[in-house]
Amino acid sequence: MRTKFKFSLSQTVLTLLLLIVTLTMVVPVLNIIAKSFSAPEESVRMGGLAIFPRKFDLINYRVVFSHPALMRALANSVFITVVGLAINILLTCSAAYVLTRPGLTLKKPLMVFLIFMMLFDPGMVPEYLVIKDLGLMGNQWSVILVMAVNVYYLIILMRYYQAVPSEIYEAAEIDGAGHLTTLFRVVFPLAKSGIATITMFYAVIRWNEYFRAGIYLTKTKDTTLQVILRQFVILGDTASIVGQQNLFNYNEFARIDYNALRCATIVVSIIPILLLYPLVLRYYAKDVMAGGVKE
Amino acid sequence: MNDQAAASPLKRKRSVWRKLYDEKYLYLLILPTIVFFILFRVLPIYNMRLAFFNYSSRAAWKFVGMKYMNMIFSSPGFMSILKNTLIISFMKYVMLFPFTVIFAILLNELRSARFRKYVQIVTYLPHFLSWVVIAGIWILALSLSGGVNQIAAFFNLPQIDYMTDRGTIRWILMISEAWRSIGWDSIFYFTAIINIPAHLFEAAEIDGANRLQVIWKIIVPALVAPMLTVFIMNLGFFLNAGFDQVLNFSNNAVQSTIDILDTYIYRIGIESGQYSLASAVGLLKGVAGTGLVLITHVISKRLTGEGVW
Repeated sequence: MRTKFKFSLSQTVLTLLLLIVTLTMVVPVLNIIAKSFSAPEESVRMGGLAIFPRKFDLINYRVVFSHPALMRALANSVFITVVGLAINILLTCSAAYVLTRPGLTLKKPLMVFLIFMMLFDPGMVPEYLVIKDLGLMGNQWSVILVMAVNVYYLIILMRYYQAVPSEIYEAAEIDGAGHLTTLFRVVFPLAKSGIATITMFYAVIRWNEYFRAGIYLTKTKDTTLQVILRQFVILGDTASIVGQQNLFNYNEFARIDYNALRCATIVVSIIPILLLYPLVLRYYAKDVMAGGVKE
Repeated sequence: MNDQAAASPLKRKRSVWRKLYDEKYLYLLILPTIVFFILFRVLPIYNMRLAFFNYSSRAAWKFVGMKYMNMIFSSPGFMSILKNTLIISFMKYVMLFPFTVIFAILLNELRSARFRKYVQIVTYLPHFLSWVVIAGIWILALSLSGGVNQIAAFFNLPQIDYMTDRGTIRWILMISEAWRSIGWDSIFYFTAIINIPAHLFEAAEIDGANRLQVIWKIIVPALVAPMLTVFIMNLGFFLNAGFDQVLNFSNNAVQSTIDILDTYIYRIGIESGQYSLASAVGLLKGVAGTGLVLITHVISKRLTGEGVW
């Protein structure tokens, strides 16, 4: 009896401790969501611990979604993410296929080359000059192409491919399937969870990219949501947001609470991540989520 | 594969060139990836020679030897930037390190599977937010009207504007790093824990060991190898110190306290266009970073028989 009581006491302490850790993450995010949905007169007075909106109002979202520069940036982010993701998947899937073919003559030199590419980072200035020399500066393809393949994700995908039984490849070969047919009809369906995993990882880094977009996309009309977010939320540059907006909808703008507007911009930028997150847990974190104490 | 080769001696006799020819479509498939790396990684590596040249966008670059290397070491700010980098890295990669391990152990100790799942869902999420978003959230939470100061006021503690306070900003970097990655990084250790064979725990139970003894005698030893791996990999990041985080957490008030090598390279290289000087700092950083990994690899191999690769 005594040990049992002691045990549950330690469980209570442990639970409380971990609950506090999670609250440091849950409360600020809910606070941002709550402020973004509150009326400006209320949101200015809301503290950092409020997690429910006060006087529900969509004004912040009306401003965000009627703002030409923000909408343009959102469209650019979607474009760069979707096109970039397609290139990521296509290149990574085919490279992983090639590198997992048994007996590939050049496998070793190719792997050594790729791992060296992963370990050695030439740094931002040499890369910047290459983008300039290739004439990609100020072009959205710079951001799309410069992140085309991630060796780390390639190696993850190779592990999934290797788990596909070799008899299946042999059967496809006997049936006269070419490499492309094998890749799309045989490997894709069988390595589905691997492809899902790297797709999510790529999607997240694509969507979150702000640094290269910030320096390579020299024209405001090409820029992405994360770049605008950084200007507005981090650098506190309200002028760029207000400038155009003022002319456009003066009355509503006079009411606005900038911090709440910042919150709304943050919320818009994390929605795709939140939509993707359940899939990450399902495909990547499945084992650790199901695991735990072995009885 | 070997069986196949043995079964058809003809195949084995084929020359390498013939084999390469047979594999031509495979190389065609991987060609775009190779071209990508040549354009966007190999060419930049070749550009690193700029550390020893004067840049020109039209004419050929002019060799100037050690000019920029000397410039780095005679610049008054460089040593403090190096110091900042090492301090911030130490806080993030050494001081924070045990907490991630402890977090994994605590997670495993939770009896309620549902609560554990909740903790996992919440703590893995920040890893997927960009540093721009995280900095945005933290700037709001740490401002004088934010949640942290509200709690401090409740306990009659002083109100601090953490983001612009030189005394606290490095701690903020360390804690926000923990906030972002303690959950996700603990997965590595958590996986090691759940892979411990169940019979070890059963034996401990029969021997009447309590939880602390189980943790200390069974779980911690199983975590030594993964800890070493992470620790060595972290050393490879030591001169990086987390550029994206620092860039977004920085402001005029604290810049001198958290200015690191990469933010310095960014400022002098991209912002003021001193490409050669920035490349020289980058080259030094790259060489020293690779050296660090090699040294730890050798030490680790001597100590444990296991290297980084």
